Amino acid sequence: MTETPKQKRKLSRRDFLVLTGVAGGLYFGVTLGVLPFARLKLAEYLDEAGGPPMTVDAVPLAWFEIGTDNLVKIYIPKVEMGQGIHTTLAQAAADELDVPWEDVSVLNVGTGKGLDDPVGTSASNSTSSLFPVLRQAGATVREMLRFEGAKLLGLAAESVSAENGFVTATQDAGKKVSYGEIVGAVKEWVVPEKLPALKKSTDFKYIGKAMPRVDLLDKVLGKTQFGFDVRVENMAYGAVATPPRLGAMIKSASAGEAATMPGVIKVVIEDDFVGVVAERREQAWAALSAVQIEWSEVKVWEQAEIEALVQVGNGRGVTVQTEGDAEGHLRGSVLEAEYYTPMVFHAHMEPQSAAADVRAESATVWASTQSPVSVRGAVAKAIGLEAEQVTAIPTFLGGGFGQKINNIPAVQAARLSKAAGQAVHLGYRRTEDFQNGYIRPPSRSVLRAAVNKNGLIEAIEHKQASGQVAFPFFPVFVSKVMGADFGAYRGAQIRYGVPHKRVDAWLADLPFKTGWWRGLGMLANLFAIESFMDELAVSVGMDPFLFRLANLPLDELGGRMKKVLEATREKSGWDTPAPEGRARGMALAMDVGTLVGCVAEVSVKNKEIRVHKLTGVVDAGMFVNPNGAASQMEGGMNMALSSALFEETQVKNGALSPTNFGAYKFLNNSASPEIVVELLESGDEPLGMGEPPLGPVAPAVANAVFALTGQRLRRLPLKLA
Amino acid sequence: MDLSINGKLYQVEDSPNRTLLWVLRDELGLTGTKFGCGVGICGSCTIQIDGVATRSCLTMLSQVEGKQIRTLEGLATENPDGSLQLHPVQEAFIELQVHQCGYCMSGQIMQAAALLDENPAPSEEEIIAGMDRNLCRCGAYPRIRKAVARAAEIAAGG
Repeated sequence: MTETPKQKRKLSRRDFLVLTGVAGGLYFGVTLGVLPFARLKLAEYLDEAGGPPMTVDAVPLAWFEIGTDNLVKIYIPKVEMGQGIHTTLAQAAADELDVPWEDVSVLNVGTGKGLDDPVGTSASNSTSSLFPVLRQAGATVREMLRFEGAKLLGLAAESVSAENGFVTATQDAGKKVSYGEIVGAVKEWVVPEKLPALKKSTDFKYIGKAMPRVDLLDKVLGKTQFGFDVRVENMAYGAVATPPRLGAMIKSASAGEAATMPGVIKVVIEDDFVGVVAERREQAWAALSAVQIEWSEVKVWEQAEIEALVQVGNGRGVTVQTEGDAEGHLRGSVLEAEYYTPMVFHAHMEPQSAAADVRAESATVWASTQSPVSVRGAVAKAIGLEAEQVTAIPTFLGGGFGQKINNIPAVQAARLSKAAGQAVHLGYRRTEDFQNGYIRPPSRSVLRAAVNKNGLIEAIEHKQASGQVAFPFFPVFVSKVMGADFGAYRGAQIRYGVPHKRVDAWLADLPFKTGWWRGLGMLANLFAIESFMDELAVSVGMDPFLFRLANLPLDELGGRMKKVLEATREKSGWDTPAPEGRARGMALAMDVGTLVGCVAEVSVKNKEIRVHKLTGVVDAGMFVNPNGAASQMEGGMNMALSSALFEETQVKNGALSPTNFGAYKFLNNSASPEIVVELLESGDEPLGMGEPPLGPVAPAVANAVFALTGQRLRRLPLKLA
Repeated sequence: MDLSINGKLYQVEDSPNRTLLWVLRDELGLTGTKFGCGVGICGSCTIQIDGVATRSCLTMLSQVEGKQIRTLEGLATENPDGSLQLHPVQEAFIELQVHQCGYCMSGQIMQAAALLDENPAPSEEEIIAGMDRNLCRCGAYPRIRKAVARAAEIAAGG
């Protein structure tokens, strides 16, 4: 199966929406792929915001507003969870608009305000999907401003330029009118029939520059509102019962003493749901533990049983990739190895949280969510409203990593609010956060390959099994049609130039919720493939760098892989001896089109693996914000290192374990290595940066451990015997 | 009882068994201090009590009566002309663009400010040791270390 290239759709003038405000001001939206029922809501919003009362016949996906005060507000349907997306996307629009950076602000608004992004903030797609759109929108508005500005100056459009927030006469720099003055004067705007050309890269003012993050001043001052920080009028606090064992359901419940405990407003007992609403959070927690709940008897699962379920060849499976005849060429002497990656928690620092204010005919939900559109739908369904009656407002996220695509806390907060008749905030305690989510599933990979004496791989086969990743978030028919889960086999394909290759994937049904975790199956699959590449190199006595180089595909991707490998070798000092007592390991990853090469430098003391240095080289097409991209590399590589060295969730006595930080160990400051990053450009369009850096780290570390100790570790977290 | 927070007096109901974190956040609306684990492991809730970095999730109101509490909201000061004067740690964290999601950073910044009060010119080892109990899931540790060193320079007039 080959991958279909992304369809690129060229924007036309019909994709833009132009509105003028009563008090002046220009609203300009991009209307690509938007759900129609929010149209009315946008009109209402513009009314409230001082915009024009009007019939809106299309709703923008992203839009911006230029005020008579020259200030530019950019509304973005992507949430900021640490990836710097608000800054990156503002760079795209502000550069093409050609306005001073200080005049730009970025706002994130919820559903019902015209911004219904059905995709959510995930899959490293925010920059790659919105960058070209926002550039074209900015360039178009700039052209419209130039045209109208020329008229105001009494000049021909050819005799003026639009730059730095002003339309200025080319012959007389003193003759100019600001963008704010123009939008104050113009009542009828015309979108040009032929959309203007975008800037040449040599003319960029912000794109490709290390612009400072727009959200950091508020963040250092403690002003940023995360989901856990939401406070609305007349707000009470909620707590919801969590099953003590996987699969346990409520058989019966009674309020008992909880009803009369201090501060308790309401004990909520419904068929499948028990919660408490109280004046204070601590009171809700205290009362919840006093509610008498009888849970159903369930099988008490243990870890060994879970691992036994994750087997290649077990249950439903699909072929993910096939070229040539791998099976026919994998007879006789072949190398075979099996790898395993465990369940892990997301462990975002901000536990999942939401606040809801449910009224008779409407509801507002504030949620720390990656997907406000799905929150809206799920809340509406849970409390018996139509989707249009619910507004979902995403807050800043204290980390998401895929977990915050779920709607669990938002739905629970809404149910509590409906029952109590007032606004309720629900913030999970860490133990609840760990039990109430879709964790990274366990995975198993079995690889087989035949390598000839020249070090060329003749045939390779990858059989992969995993719990669900993407299916829990799609209708059931998707899983029936597709068989194995495309999230689980992300990264499972063989990118090297091998004549005979085959990748098959199987799905394991597990007794707990598994789902999106940063990069989906990518980390697990690349740990297996890139460790196996090292094993193959060793089997023919070749340097792992040269072995990879010898097996690159002879196409454009292969050319990019070669450059990344060579830069990784250079930057890491691969050809120089490692410092005394240390060894290096290498890996190469591809994800969402982005390539990441990594070299890890490790030592071992008392069987403890210590990573001193990670070198990361990334080719993500182009870098809209190089400093932001470097930050994603550092953070992503550290998060992957944490998976490589420390993290494992297990099923013990029928529940997920451990139950809090501490026992659930992840990377701390002293375990963080020196990280050296190099950015390689290979084009003029940005690819994803949020997840790819996680790809090569675990195998690079495992390969370094092998080079140092001779022990091949095929299971995460890496532990020496 | 009275609480002295960021130089201001707040009156809260006299219940010494309440946890300072939730009083700060839910009752007084000082949500700059974050909840992460509730068991003193992650450091998201770090504040200063009489200048000492302290986990507010493990601090009872009875322990802070009569003491000076400082939260992230009280770290910056006001210049004579009314403009905002960031603390050197805040300045350095912006300069090095340390934050990713930023949720743990309230605690990181309060921890770093206390560290520099005690040791104005820490070595890299001292910075790592001083910051090691503040977890960052985004993995911004390399920049945290650089920013604390940079804050020491800024405070010293650099």
